[in-house]
Parts: sequence; structure tokens; C-alpha cells
Amino acid sequence: MRQFKTIFGFEMKYYLKNKIFVGVTVFLLIAIAGIMFFPRVSMLFRLQESENESADRARLYLSVNAQLDAEMLENIFAESFPEYEISRVEKSDADMKKVILEDEGSCGIMIKEATDITYYVNNLSLYDSNVYTAEAAMQKYYQMEAMLEKGFSAKEVGDIFAVQIHSEIEKIGTDQSQNFFYTYIMIFALYMVLLLYGQMVATNVATEKSSRAMEVLITSAKPVSMLFGKVLASCLAGLVQLLAVFGSAILFYQMNRSYWGDNPIIASIFAMPPQLFGYMLIFFVLGFLIYAFLYGAIGSTASKVEDINTSVMPITLVFVAAFMVVILSMTSGNVDTLLMRICSYIPLTSPMAMFTRIAMSIVPWYEIVVSVGILVIAVAGIGVLAAKIYRVGVLLYGSTPKLKDIVKALKNA
Amino acid sequence: MRLELRNIEKSFGEKNVLKGISLEAESGKAFGLLGRNGAGKTTTIRILMDVFPADGGEILIDGKPMDYTKVGIGYLPEERGLYPKKIIFDQLLYFAQLKGMKKKAATEAIDYWLGRLEMTEYRNKRLDTLSKGNQQKIQLVTAIAHDPDIVILDEPFSGLDPVNAMLLKDVVRELIEKGKIVLFSSHQMNYIEEFCSQIAILNDGHIVLAGDLREIRHHYVRDRLIVRTEMTEQLRADFGMACSVQEDGSLLIRLDKESDKKQVMKQIIDRYDVDEVKVYEPSLNDIFVQYAGDVTKEADHETV
Repeated sequence: MRQFKTIFGFEMKYYLKNKIFVGVTVFLLIAIAGIMFFPRVSMLFRLQESENESADRARLYLSVNAQLDAEMLENIFAESFPEYEISRVEKSDADMKKVILEDEGSCGIMIKEATDITYYVNNLSLYDSNVYTAEAAMQKYYQMEAMLEKGFSAKEVGDIFAVQIHSEIEKIGTDQSQNFFYTYIMIFALYMVLLLYGQMVATNVATEKSSRAMEVLITSAKPVSMLFGKVLASCLAGLVQLLAVFGSAILFYQMNRSYWGDNPIIASIFAMPPQLFGYMLIFFVLGFLIYAFLYGAIGSTASKVEDINTSVMPITLVFVAAFMVVILSMTSGNVDTLLMRICSYIPLTSPMAMFTRIAMSIVPWYEIVVSVGILVIAVAGIGVLAAKIYRVGVLLYGSTPKLKDIVKALKNA
Repeated sequence: MRLELRNIEKSFGEKNVLKGISLEAESGKAFGLLGRNGAGKTTTIRILMDVFPADGGEILIDGKPMDYTKVGIGYLPEERGLYPKKIIFDQLLYFAQLKGMKKKAATEAIDYWLGRLEMTEYRNKRLDTLSKGNQQKIQLVTAIAHDPDIVILDEPFSGLDPVNAMLLKDVVRELIEKGKIVLFSSHQMNYIEEFCSQIAILNDGHIVLAGDLREIRHHYVRDRLIVRTEMTEQLRADFGMACSVQEDGSLLIRLDKESDKKQVMKQIIDRYDVDEVKVYEPSLNDIFVQYAGDVTKEADHETV
């Protein structure tokens, strides 16, 4: 136990003194601070620029067929395109193109008939939905015209169109539009941390072996203490990093809450239920341990640090596959597919799969208990197995042993 | 303290590495474990250090099974290496603590040994900034800082310059005087001859020769004489085929039988102007080549 403590302390110091570890953490904190303070900072700039803001608004050139009610159309378009300054012009097709090319950021709509319009834009962005807005505006115009013709007064028509519909959503399960973003962020954080630290553990072990520090280590400490000390220290380091990142994100958000207004994405991320963070920690720790043990065991079988990348490939592939399954099911909107249900019980995939299901769907408590139970047993089992492989692996030099050789060596040890 | 290995056996898969190794070492004496590459020395050392268990046999301290929590072992492996990127003191402290030392005691011991080995100025430097010989001295500290009862030194002198070798010799002598069991493994026979009173030669998993080095030498048939003289030509003419010139210029004279020794020695001293006449005793090198040289030769388990 004392040996374990010594190793744990030594390895922990390695992370805290490691420039990359500290650098990445600081970078992440700065990046998060940058994002969280962005609206506040941009607000400052906007205040300064607010005087000439109207001049800065992009123009929407509206060219209307003389037979249509140009005044009414202009009103409707002004209402539908509040972010544009509507400017009425009498242009031909070629003129319209020229004007838009000259006036950066502007666009144009040529109304030939009530049911036939052309949208002019220089570069059509992926998110440009102006043409649909214009279609809706034209539809409104058409309906209003028709009603006026039928003898409604302008006020009556206005009242009909101004009617407000009150709507409510009654959530019974979870809200996927809300939980998608934070689940995505957490799954991604889990993925990054497990992959990075797994590699770090493997490299760490292989470095000790290739520098031959292992020759002294193996005679000074029990392999079980060595592997467990290393893995648990990296787990704690990962946890510290994760908590620092999430903690600072929450802190910075609280500081800038008013500036974010009601940005739906940001609001949904920080509306994460606290118990989900608890689940995140459980699955993070267990998932971390299971992968770190495997990476550590594999690291012990490599003679050179360069061999690590090929040796860890199979585990990395399983891990990436699990990640893909989870992300695909998340984006498809159904996280309770048969594949996801199976994955949420398999130890190597359950940390991500079960967590996603808990976050984005409703999972009965006994399923969670079973999944976590299997995971805990698997962590213990793989921990013991990894320690055995480690004990044999650290003394094997030469070419990277095949799985068959390791099994054989395990039997003989 | 008396360390005994009894009938240690070990196989890795099909390969029988140790086929019943027995040896004894006493505190206050250095023991030389010899053998060619692959003879099983490292495996023996690892079993002794409990890195892996033996398939058969026992390890005893004063007749009782060894208790690893009580008996400290220090090890200087042949394959040297510590953490190249870490501060020297940090890693020395780490290894001392792994061996069960408290931080304060460990710091004191490390500082003492760094001073003793003239390495104090490198205390807070990274290991990879040091020369190979100096790195080796640092590694020696990991083997002895925790004041072990048994010190295992595998090729301790390789890569050291004469000054450092002298320093290490002093340290080894000090360890022996302090009553440690010092286990040497080396191919540099002159160092073994200098320190070790007991040796064992391993060949193909067997101990082919073990015992007191002086007795082993004495045990050889004393039918050859070494003569150092200026009158080489006369001697060669008089003794004919029985006389041959050694590499160092001295003469080796083969006698017909051991009992002629006294008479021939007297004759030589009377007739020639000689600097030295002595009975030839094989060097450890010769003994080693004889016993460890031929693997296929039927190994006779000779214990003196």
C-alpha cells in the first residue's frame, strides 16, 4: 500500500509538472473563457458602433412589378426581413445583378407576379433561407390581396393576420432539442480524455521499459502497485482536468449570464441536470479505468515507444467504433436502438452508450444498475488481467509479442 | 547473515533456463556469479529478487525462507537506465521510497552517497545531461541508498574510467566491510579475482563450478612452474619441449609429475639467474574458459 502511494504520488507529480498537461489545461481554460466572455466583449464594441448601426444594415433591393401593390409589399417584406433595410428599386434583371455585386452583403428580390419571384444573391450561404421567407411573404401578400378583393377592409385583414397563437410543450420524457448539446459535449470530452490519457499511460509504461528504468522498478515494487499507481494517478489527473474545464465553463457562464440573453444552445447546455454530472463522473471513472488498464498492459508489451501506436490500434478501433455508434444514434434522434441497448451493457462501449441513453432518453434504474455493475466487475477483472500481462510484459524485450505469446507467458508465469 | 539458494529451477515455456542452482553466500564476503551470456545469471538474480517465482527450490536466509519485507536487496542491473528526463534527486528519492524508506532518511542517504560519489553538483540536474559513467554512478545510488543487506552488482565496472573505477572499488570494499552480502556478476575477471572469495560458474542452467576461489586454484594439479628470467634462451635449450614462452614473456615449464616440483625449482634457482619462480595457478580467466567454454561438454558437478 505504501508502495502504491509512493508510485501514485510520483506519477501525479509527473502530470502536474508535465508542460503538455499544464499547457493543454491552461489553453482549454483560456478558450472557454474566450467563448464565455465573447458576448460581453462584443457588446462593448457594439455599443460604440451603435450610432451608425442603421447604415451598416445590409440592403435588400426589392423590384416590384408595376401591377402589384408596391406599398403593401414593402411593408410585408420589412416585417419579414427585420435584419435588412428594404430599398425599392426599378431594375431589370441585369441591373439588379450589377447593383448586388457592387453593394457587398446585399441581396435582391424581383417580383414579377404575385406567384413568381427571383432571389438575387452573390454567394449563397449554406444557412440562407431568404428565399423561403420571401415565399412566405408573397403568400401573405396574395392572401391579403384576395381578402381585400372579397370586400374585407384593410383593418380587418390586418387583424386577421396579426392573430397570435399561444403554444406550450408538455415534456413527458427528456427533451432532445435541449439535451443534445450537452450530451454531445460530454461524450466528446469523454472520448478525448479517454483516448489521450490511454495513450499517455501506454507511452509512460513503454518509456520506462525502453529507458530500462523498469529493470530497477520491477525489483523495487510489485507490478500490481506499479500499474494501479500509474492508472489511478492518470485517472485523477484526467478528472482534475475535466473538472477544471467544466467548472470554469460554469463559472464563466454565471459571470456572463446576462450577456448571453436567451441563446438557446448555450442555455440548453447549462440547463444540464446535476445528477447527469454525477452519472458522467461514474462513467468517466469506470470507462477511464477499463481503457487505461488495457492501454497500460499493452504499453508493457512494447519494447520501444514507437511500437505503441500499432499495438494499441485494436483497442483504439473498438473505442472509436463505440464513439461512432453513439454519435450516429444521437444525431438520428433515437438513442434506444437495439445496437445502443446492446452497447450499453458491453463494458468497453457502455461508458459512452449508457451515458448517452441516460442523458437523452429514459432508462429504468435497474438497467443502469446492471450496466454499472457489469462495468465495475469488468474493471476489476481487466485490472487483474492487465497487472498479470504487465508483470510478464515488462520483462519481454525484442519484437512486440503476439497475443498468443502473451497468453503462453501468462500461463508459465 | 547467510544466503542460500537451494536447487532453484526455472523454465520459460519449453526452455529450461535453470536446472537446479544451489549456491551459498555469506555477509562480509563478495560472491562472484559467473557465466557466459545466456547462462542464466539474470534469471537467477531475478528469482533471488522475487521478480518471478522459481518453479522449484528454495531461497533461505540463515536457514529460514527469505522474508522480503525484512531483507533489503539493492540491485545494479546490467542494462542501465533510469528516467532520463527527470531530476536526479527526484528519481533517487522515488526509488528509495519504493524500497520503503521514509522521506527524511532517504534524503539524507541520497545526499551522503551523492557526496561520496562526487556527484553532489548534479543533484538537481536532469539525468540525460550526465555522461554515461556519471549516470552509472547515479544508478549505483539506487542500488545502495536504502542500506540493503544484499547488494547485487551486475557488471558494475563497465563503462567507468579508471578514477571512477577506483571510487567504485572503494565503495564495494566499504560494503563488504559493513557486512553486506555482495553478489558480483561480471565478465571482467580481474575485478572478480580482486573482490570475490567465493565464485560459482553457471553454464547452461547448471552450476559447473562453485567454491572458494583460492581452494579452486590450489586444487589444480601443481605440475607447472612459472619462471621469470633474463636467461630465457638457456632455459628453453635445457628444458626443450617442456618449456614454452607465455604471453607476458615468462616461461611455463611442464613437469613430468607433481613430486618433481621441489627439486626442479631448486635446480632452476641454482643454475640460472632468475627473478621469480612459482607454481603455476590458473587465472580465473583460464578456469572460466575451461568450465564455461564448452556448452556441449558433459558438465561435471564439481564442488570444492
